Amino acid sequence: MRPENYEAIKQPPSNEFELNFGPNHPGIEGNYAFRVKLNGDEVLSARADAGYLHRGFEKLMEGRLWIQNIALVPRICVPDPVPMEVCYSLAIEELCGLEIPERAMWLRVMQLEMSRLAAHLFAFGGHAATTGMYTPMFWGVADRDLILDRFEELTGGRVYSIYNIPGGVRRDMPDGFLDRLGTLLDYLDSRLPDYDSLFFRNQVFIKRARDVGAMTQEQALKWGVTGPNLRATGLAFDVRRDDPYLVYDKIDFDIVTEPGGDALSRNLVRRAELKQSIRILRQIIKHLPSVKGAVRCPIPNPLAWNVPAGETYTRVESSKGELAYYVVSNGGDKPYRVHVRGPSSMHAVQVLEKLAVGSRLEDVAQIMFSLDACPPEVDR
Amino acid sequence: MSKELNLWLDDLLKDIKIIQFKRKNSRRVRIDIAPEALPALLELLQGRASYVHLSAISCVDWIEDDEFELVYHVWSYETNSLVSAHTRISREPGVYLSVYDLYTPAAFFERDIHEMFGLYFEGSPDMEKFILTEWNGPPPMRKDFDSEAFVNQTFNWEEYHPQWLKDIEAEGGGITTRPEDVR
Repeated sequence: MRPENYEAIKQPPSNEFELNFGPNHPGIEGNYAFRVKLNGDEVLSARADAGYLHRGFEKLMEGRLWIQNIALVPRICVPDPVPMEVCYSLAIEELCGLEIPERAMWLRVMQLEMSRLAAHLFAFGGHAATTGMYTPMFWGVADRDLILDRFEELTGGRVYSIYNIPGGVRRDMPDGFLDRLGTLLDYLDSRLPDYDSLFFRNQVFIKRARDVGAMTQEQALKWGVTGPNLRATGLAFDVRRDDPYLVYDKIDFDIVTEPGGDALSRNLVRRAELKQSIRILRQIIKHLPSVKGAVRCPIPNPLAWNVPAGETYTRVESSKGELAYYVVSNGGDKPYRVHVRGPSSMHAVQVLEKLAVGSRLEDVAQIMFSLDACPPEVDR
Repeated sequence: MSKELNLWLDDLLKDIKIIQFKRKNSRRVRIDIAPEALPALLELLQGRASYVHLSAISCVDWIEDDEFELVYHVWSYETNSLVSAHTRISREPGVYLSVYDLYTPAAFFERDIHEMFGLYFEGSPDMEKFILTEWNGPPPMRKDFDSEAFVNQTFNWEEYHPQWLKDIEAEGGGITTRPEDVR
């Protein structure tokens, strides 16, 4: 809402008052407003207000060529852009019946896990900041930057790599890339104990986060919660294992669950997934040199590419949860309709509104960040 | 276990006359159904076949057929399969039933579709504006909404030719392609 349109609410004298969280980074990775009604420091009701990052992606995509949209989709989630590119590419490949080479699949999985590592480092760092601990935030962001360096080497772009295209990936790795990635993984692995003693086993954090924003498994299923937030309620579900795409069925990894369903459990799941992502990347480093061949299959002239008519619903597991694209083609050179189902469209709106009620004011930012929502996925 | 349950769904749904059943692969099923029967189908899928997760509701504007297509994607955590139920309703008056009593996430998707396509869902708990809070134009995701025409009608084009740009142009630089040449 613009300030000139704001009118003070007239109400009889009471202890209740309204407080606006945001829209400037209120404890969430982006611009998002959250209006809470308080009595003292207890939240009586909460209302999400989105739209500050609305750029009309779905409408824009209808006016651009299939290949041009590749440059558009990663912008839908800034901290974790790779799943967006992969999911959109998978949809086009399914519509066209393209079989992408195996090497491209492994390269895609490698980026997906690198992106997940970066996003989780960002998420736990941000959560630490909402509890007043700024050191983990600086550590998380600094270590994320090292992953972005590898992205830059691989793709030329640090945040938006625009590396996955329908049919495979744009080009092969530079020489020695896997060695440097391995060195980075050794470093990140050696950092995990430091994160533990600084943050995850820190009593300040544990006492602040335990039982904050808690939900049961039944509630999580009912509210459409997915991803790490669902696994934090004890349900072992992961799109990578249960609806496998690319080569995830050839990779060995565990699905980590925590029983609590609170902010603490959600962070512990992310902490364990850091370890799992490192494990997956080590397997890729071992296996990828033995996969030879092209990195993309032949595609038609992308500037005059008529994708066959049809519709498809592709899903991937992003660092936030279940990400899906519903893509409809009418046989033209542009998509007829693209619907983006971001995981945060549940977490940041309904779930957040419900979890915030009854909590205390100082915990609202913590609940927001523990859900790891990404507002552009809501606004699109 | 999961495979057996999946096939059980095939047998069950193939017998029902009013729906068109199409299995795309072992994890994807497409169902085409009349709008009046869709809530009953979802109730059956959710209550009897464990499709408890509403992944998304997608809306497609088929303006040439004068119809909206609504697609309900439901996922089963037990059989690990996704059913996409397609239904078509007429564009005018564009009113349909909410499935909020079956699936809580529907509230978000219905609110979003109401805002972007102008469809109204009876029984949905919250139809307030959400993303386009201060938008007074027609629903923008409809196919008959022309973004460029709307911008030309609503806003004014302004000449922007400041002194610093004139200085650069005097030295032979500046914007070499004008916007009107691109269009």
